[in-house]
Amino acid sequence: MAASQRDISVSEFFAKNRHLLGFDNPRKALLTTIKEAVDNSLDACEEAGLLPEIWVHVEATETNRYKVGVQDNGPGIVKRQIPLIFGKLLYGSKFHRLRMSRGQQGIGISAAGMYGVLTTGKPVKISSKISKRKPIHYYEIQIDTKKNKPEILNGRGDGVDIPAGTKGEAWMTKHGIEWIARYGEDPTDANAKEVVSGTRVTIELEAKYQRRRGSVDEYLEQTAIANPHVTIHYVDPDGGYRSYNRSTDTLPAEPKEIKPHPYGVELGRLIAMLKASEASTMSQFLTSSFSRVSPAVARKLCTAAEIKVRASTRRIGRGEADRLYQAIQQTKISAPKTDCIAPIGEELLLKGLHQVVPGEFYVASTRPPSVYRGNPFQIEVALAYGGTTVAQRVTRETLVELIQQTDLRTLRQFLIHTFDGLGSGSAENILKETELGTRKSPAKLKAKEIDQLHEAMQNVKLGEGQTMNVLRYANRVPLQFQPAACAITQSVLNANWRPYGLSQSRGSLPTGPVTLMIHMASVWVPFTSESKEAVASYPEIQKELRLAIQAVGRKLGMYLRRRVRVRQEGERRSIFLRYLGEVATAVSEINAADRSTLYNQLLVLAKKKTAEADVKLDRRGRPIEEELDLGDNVLIVDPNEVADNLTTS
Amino acid sequence: MAKKKIRRKKVVATKAAVKRSRLGPRDRKTIQELVGMADRVVSTARRRRDPHLDIPTRSLSNVKFNRRKRFIEMGNNTNRRLLFNLSQAKSYMQTMLVGSGCKQLIEQGKNTSIRGLYYMLKHTIEGTKENTFEEQSDCDPIIEDVEVFLGSLREELHLYADKRGEMVGNLQLEDNGDLIDCSRMGSGGYGIPSIVEPSAIKFKKCRAKFVLHVEKGTVWQRFNEDKFWRKHNCILTHGAGQPPRGVRRLLNRIHNELDLPIFCLLDNDPWGYYIYSVIKQGSINLAYESQRMAIPKARYIGLRSKDYERCNLSPSVRIDLNDNDRKRARQIAGYPWFEHKKAWQKEIAMMLKNNFKLEVESLISKDISYVTEQYVPDRLTDKDWLD
Repeated sequence: MAASQRDISVSEFFAKNRHLLGFDNPRKALLTTIKEAVDNSLDACEEAGLLPEIWVHVEATETNRYKVGVQDNGPGIVKRQIPLIFGKLLYGSKFHRLRMSRGQQGIGISAAGMYGVLTTGKPVKISSKISKRKPIHYYEIQIDTKKNKPEILNGRGDGVDIPAGTKGEAWMTKHGIEWIARYGEDPTDANAKEVVSGTRVTIELEAKYQRRRGSVDEYLEQTAIANPHVTIHYVDPDGGYRSYNRSTDTLPAEPKEIKPHPYGVELGRLIAMLKASEASTMSQFLTSSFSRVSPAVARKLCTAAEIKVRASTRRIGRGEADRLYQAIQQTKISAPKTDCIAPIGEELLLKGLHQVVPGEFYVASTRPPSVYRGNPFQIEVALAYGGTTVAQRVTRETLVELIQQTDLRTLRQFLIHTFDGLGSGSAENILKETELGTRKSPAKLKAKEIDQLHEAMQNVKLGEGQTMNVLRYANRVPLQFQPAACAITQSVLNANWRPYGLSQSRGSLPTGPVTLMIHMASVWVPFTSESKEAVASYPEIQKELRLAIQAVGRKLGMYLRRRVRVRQEGERRSIFLRYLGEVATAVSEINAADRSTLYNQLLVLAKKKTAEADVKLDRRGRPIEEELDLGDNVLIVDPNEVADNLTTS
Repeated sequence: MAKKKIRRKKVVATKAAVKRSRLGPRDRKTIQELVGMADRVVSTARRRRDPHLDIPTRSLSNVKFNRRKRFIEMGNNTNRRLLFNLSQAKSYMQTMLVGSGCKQLIEQGKNTSIRGLYYMLKHTIEGTKENTFEEQSDCDPIIEDVEVFLGSLREELHLYADKRGEMVGNLQLEDNGDLIDCSRMGSGGYGIPSIVEPSAIKFKKCRAKFVLHVEKGTVWQRFNEDKFWRKHNCILTHGAGQPPRGVRRLLNRIHNELDLPIFCLLDNDPWGYYIYSVIKQGSINLAYESQRMAIPKARYIGLRSKDYERCNLSPSVRIDLNDNDRKRARQIAGYPWFEHKKAWQKEIAMMLKNNFKLEVESLISKDISYVTEQYVPDRLTDKDWLD
């Protein structure tokens, strides 16, 4: 027994427990790989102060095997670090600091590489360039799971340096090394601006590519919403090219590293910090190890804890530490500095959402920062109302593809599970319109029937039956899985949306053409698991979520109420007009009065009566009410414009 | 389109001119009222005012119990129905349609059922998918509105309801020229028509001494089969539940013109009480017709709350009161025309205390003909009834 006891390496552990990192199934493995690579790229670009431009290439190599290449225009990585970053688990710069960033532990990309090696045996390929004249460092590595150490395969264990310029380019083409050298859609265009630095990682892995819910496409789209300063170029396995262009040129403010806040420190940690501290007096200790503790606050704390301000940190025993801990809880200390968090901001939230989600009404709200367990965090919510839904935007080609890919047995299930926010009610409506059976198998549809389906999907009014589409983000990274376990979803469910003009049955998401985007920015996002899919519910986080949701909900309610009112005015008139003809006919039949004279007189009266509605309808030719003041975090788009955008894009 | 309409109107107008000379004075008066209603629309429209109709309110809040006449009268409250009001526009339009439909009927000298009128007027509104009337239940209250608004009776609008209720007994009458002997109607009885005005029905010969009105057809059948009316020399009627206007009007005419007392045999439950109340004082909904419908001297001979013990009925015939029954009973006890009648207050209180109701049929548990051979004759000889 004793002989078989031995160390377990982190890598070995995760190789066996890949689901903990989000590699539970081939479909998710593909997404997680891309996600980790893109997140790292964005972090790197932002830290270096570069506007991020990301290229994502997914290519099918064999059945169930895909090659994923992600390149950025970031600062590049110095040669020495490359193998460690990509070939060693738990190696990173982000774990030990309290600062808002996408990645946290330094597991992600190396785990993806490890998964690739495990499933296909192909090494991870990394190319990195740090400036225009410097060479591209090219490595092929794999992770030694026993030792948790990188193993470099090319250049006799030392990597290869590819010189800059045409000579290097030729060498790369010869050896089949991928590198995007120029910006723009056409990489061969010699006049385009050169990509002077950046990193590209290529991983081949066993995976499955699928569209829609929980897909790579969805991830990139959602990333574009929350990161309006990023441009993403995406080539999918079928060779389709798509790009999400940035809508702003300003980088988010650089988040700063912070010291822990006293409120978030538990007794055990406080004692450990006291032991480790190099400060000689309590006052020094408090002011130097915590944020927001000024000498005055330190004095207050010490007085409350009955400790001398000048007492040596080494003399503090358990009892004193406990008193100090109690004193911290009872003393009012200002919230941690917020510059450690870079919220997206209401303006950019609106821009990002508007860029990707079509709608007629947008509202955003950024809550002031708050603190859970001493970690500052900030909640932002943006909401888009109206416009067309995914199901309505889908092209016929994509629909055909989706139908081919699906393994669902009935059309109804196919509609509900493929398209976000399409409730069962809307699915029924679509099927009713097509006159196809609910239980019909999607695989057996004829071309003509697909046409019918496509037409119905675009024509049926989906707004009412459709459920709210909730996009969750943590530090600008979309969370696509485990919605039920997430504090964000729970807050949306728990909110009462009925006063805001949406219908909602008990315990479920509200219905309506609504996309709700919720972003939690924090120096340390409390995920429920290592695969980073759901935010844990701390009471402070729930409270902020609730308040933010209410803030946008109120605005939505105001807008919807006004819309209803304007529509009613308009309807009023049409109702009168509808009945006038009948009244005139009936009256003239009774007393032989001239029907057309009477009708015209009544018409004049009706117009006079509804003149109020006229004013509001006719100014700029659409329903608008000028006295509605929704504040500046709101964007209202002309519905006609929405339609125009759709046809052009 | 407009042209077509105009031509149609002209046809109607000329036809009207031809027919008008043949119209009776009552029809002429009704037409006058209808034309007046239409003329007001034209004149208000010309003066750029809101076209409206002031329709007398048909609800409990607008009825008064006239203690002297002892029946319900309609008050003076009216509801204004505006064309240019979102929730009233449709019913305004429907009111005008009913008016034009009735005018057409009068001019052509034809009668139709209210269902017939509903079909006559139902059509799709031009340029929409909406119908003028969706269901008959949309149309019926509008007809009643027109009746109260014009102050015309239903038959004056050439409308009748479905006929319900039968009659048998020692009475001969003339129904639209046909001589009818109500003592020779077999087991089916004479179906009481919806319109029983003197112009349609004339009483010829009557040997009966009183009228027994029972609630339902089944009970009436029992009495007819046992030839109760022959033995006791009476007229036997039923109204299939809440009696329709035809039955009530006929009872009223028999009572007033032939001077016969009316006795009612109804279930011992709030609904039975209310049927009695309607026969006696008139209904709240049709309060404007009480004058010719109500029979303030009608009497209630059964069933009584005390009958369970008095007749020794088996416990199995009891039907428990539900919340609705109790609520209704208290409501009825509070009506002004029951409020000051001690016997009635006692009766209702006793039913509530019993906490069960009794149907007339429950007497069958004693004997099939118990009700005709013992119960009713006993009550009549004892003069044991409620007033």
